[in-house]
Amino acid sequence: MVPIQIDNLSFTYPSRTTPTLNGIHVDISAGDFVLLTGPTGCGKTTLLRTINGLIPHASAGTQSGSVSVGNQNVTTQPMSKTCQQVGFLFQNPEYQLFCTTVADEIAFGLENIGVPADAISDRLPLALDQVGLKGFENRLITELSSGEKQRVALASIISMRPKVLLLDEPTSHLDPKATHSILEIVRNLNTEMGVTVVFTTHRVKQVEELCNRVVLMDKGQICLDLPRSSAFQDPKPFQRLGVEIPNSDTVKEKQITNFSLSIELGNQLLSLTNICYRYPESKLDAVKRLSCHISEGEIIGIMGANGSGKTTLLNLMGGLLRPSEGEVSIVGRDSKKLKLKHLAGTVGIVFQNPDLLLQAATVKDEITFGPKNLKLAIEDIQNRVEDAIDIFMLTEIADDVPHSLSRGQRQRTALAAAASLKPKIFLLDEPTTGQDLQNLHRIMDELCQAIRARKKTLIFATHHRELTEQYADRVLLLKDGEMLFDGRPAAVFLDSALLRDASLSF
Amino acid sequence: MHGLVARTKIIIMMLCGCLVILLDSPISLFVCFLFSLLLIAVSSPTLKQIRLLLLFLLFTTWGLLYSQAIFYNAFPRTILFTLVPSNFPVLGEWTGGISVYREGIFHGVVQSLRFNTTLVIGCYIIWTTQARELLVALMKLRIPGTLAFMVTTALRFIPVIVEETAAVIRSQRLRGFRYMRLNIFASINGIINSFRPILAGIIRQATHLGESVESRGFSTESTSERTQSKASKMRSMDYCIVTIFCLSLIAIVGLKLIYFCYANGIYYASWLRHAYTFTREIL
Repeated sequence: MVPIQIDNLSFTYPSRTTPTLNGIHVDISAGDFVLLTGPTGCGKTTLLRTINGLIPHASAGTQSGSVSVGNQNVTTQPMSKTCQQVGFLFQNPEYQLFCTTVADEIAFGLENIGVPADAISDRLPLALDQVGLKGFENRLITELSSGEKQRVALASIISMRPKVLLLDEPTSHLDPKATHSILEIVRNLNTEMGVTVVFTTHRVKQVEELCNRVVLMDKGQICLDLPRSSAFQDPKPFQRLGVEIPNSDTVKEKQITNFSLSIELGNQLLSLTNICYRYPESKLDAVKRLSCHISEGEIIGIMGANGSGKTTLLNLMGGLLRPSEGEVSIVGRDSKKLKLKHLAGTVGIVFQNPDLLLQAATVKDEITFGPKNLKLAIEDIQNRVEDAIDIFMLTEIADDVPHSLSRGQRQRTALAAAASLKPKIFLLDEPTTGQDLQNLHRIMDELCQAIRARKKTLIFATHHRELTEQYADRVLLLKDGEMLFDGRPAAVFLDSALLRDASLSF
Repeated sequence: MHGLVARTKIIIMMLCGCLVILLDSPISLFVCFLFSLLLIAVSSPTLKQIRLLLLFLLFTTWGLLYSQAIFYNAFPRTILFTLVPSNFPVLGEWTGGISVYREGIFHGVVQSLRFNTTLVIGCYIIWTTQARELLVALMKLRIPGTLAFMVTTALRFIPVIVEETAAVIRSQRLRGFRYMRLNIFASINGIINSFRPILAGIIRQATHLGESVESRGFSTESTSERTQSKASKMRSMDYCIVTIFCLSLIAIVGLKLIYFCYANGIYYASWLRHAYTFTREIL
């Protein structure tokens, strides 16, 4: 059995003055399932990286204290040895797969640690079976969905038969069905094979049932470490840090109703008439015969499983893609006849990967960039920039380089940059990624308030049911590029058959 | 040819690289180019790959022909036609006239055949070899592990870079930025700034990928413990092709040396006169 012992561990990244981990003491017993949570930037990922040896072997910084797995000090032990005891599943399935086919990906780790070819042939189908991908051996990685990719990544780790499994927000990019499937696999590994699991997430509700222990972190320190049975008896520590707690109703039902009833719809901003879109080289339409009309003041949530066409639809609505068939009318103008420069100031978009938007030397310059391009008056630019910095909580980092910030801060910078243009149509692709609940709600509260006050439109694509329930006036539910439902959130979330059909429930 | 191991493909590319440097004749270079196209043809490329390759070939050929035809400065050179006469105000007087030279076009053809041959073989390797095989092959060829991983990762990220560049350009335009402006310095500055998110994204993704493979036991320092689930040992076909290439290269080097000795009056033998003719006319 392989316990994890962490003793007085501190770690400071080279570019930082304050430690990311500060005097961590924790012992994890063999077979434990630890839920590790805390606000963005509290040090969860850094702690996981010290357990599998990525710190200090693959990352510079100053470390003190010790980390041992199975009585072996991972700081001094080569990673090729540690990886045989500790598996690490990363957040984004796109960035962790190296090979072309599923079989090669799983064989890659085994080859690295010197498992003979015969044993690899034996382990491969077993690992695929464990993650429910039997028969996927020869499938190309590029042809898999995000959920399948994450399962392949998990199979490539469990084929190495680690005693400890570290999971760094492994479901944050996945739809509910894929999330459920990953959680079931992890549960089986823990209960049936006795694998010790450390699972970091902001989505406490998802994992709470599986764990036997809860660890809460803040500012590089452990502020709570209790068995699950007693961890949530006092919700204050979680609430103080804005961390989700189980059995809490984050959805303010009354507020939704009031919001929805109080909407005064203005002129039509966006009109999609029987549109289809097919990517070059693809044999299937990503969006099929879809029609909807969106007016000023509406806040719309687009929901659907991974690959259902949410991002494609957002890009079509923003004029970034032009429909293969049908018509998209943006503020009364056919998108096929519009160039992107004509849409500047009318449409604002923040991609799921906010980094694609960040090009300036400082956060402040980033927010100034758009209004300056629109040649607005200096006073107006200053007001917009100050407002955006305030709304998106960027005051302390206004002079920092955007790309040096944490994921959550980068996303807030991208949101502020798009919001400073005060677009009539504001499009957000998966705003929840990398944000803790507190930040997310504060941003959405401010954004929705501003959208309603200025009679603009906010359209966001997400898997996050609570976010849609709380903020959207209307839901567009997609499945395989087709519209399954267009209406009030309350109606869709009460229809369990509809949610199952859209793979948003199981 | 499709089933050659990665090491053989890399050796072929290196030998072809040497061959096209040694050869001067458009005929022999054209044969090499045809061979590279044959490699691509047997690898069953997709329509997208063919289109991409044609685009690459078109741009390199055009660029090399154009630049060599105009800027060829060796002698003798024959003017085919004049673009800007030497007495044309300002530009003509300043440049001494701009003309297209026959020898320049010939030189451009030779250079583009050299460049295109290696380009096509490079595409063949990328399109027919898995990242994992390429990485192991490079390391077995004693390329430093870090460099081998960088090369493989860079190739893996080409489609991502293309996709992200398009997204960055679209998002900048949507924020009101115009790439083509009268103020050329502002345009250049904007283009440079656009590289920032692309570069940062690549570094971030490559770091994640590096950490992922290291977490699964990959090390750039040692391959001794590594096993292979698929046999990637060179087979008779691989040895045969590598031998043919090596012998061809040795033969060409030999013939070139013999010709060099003859041309510079160092050594002449009458029984070698067919070799001299062959080298002069074909190589």
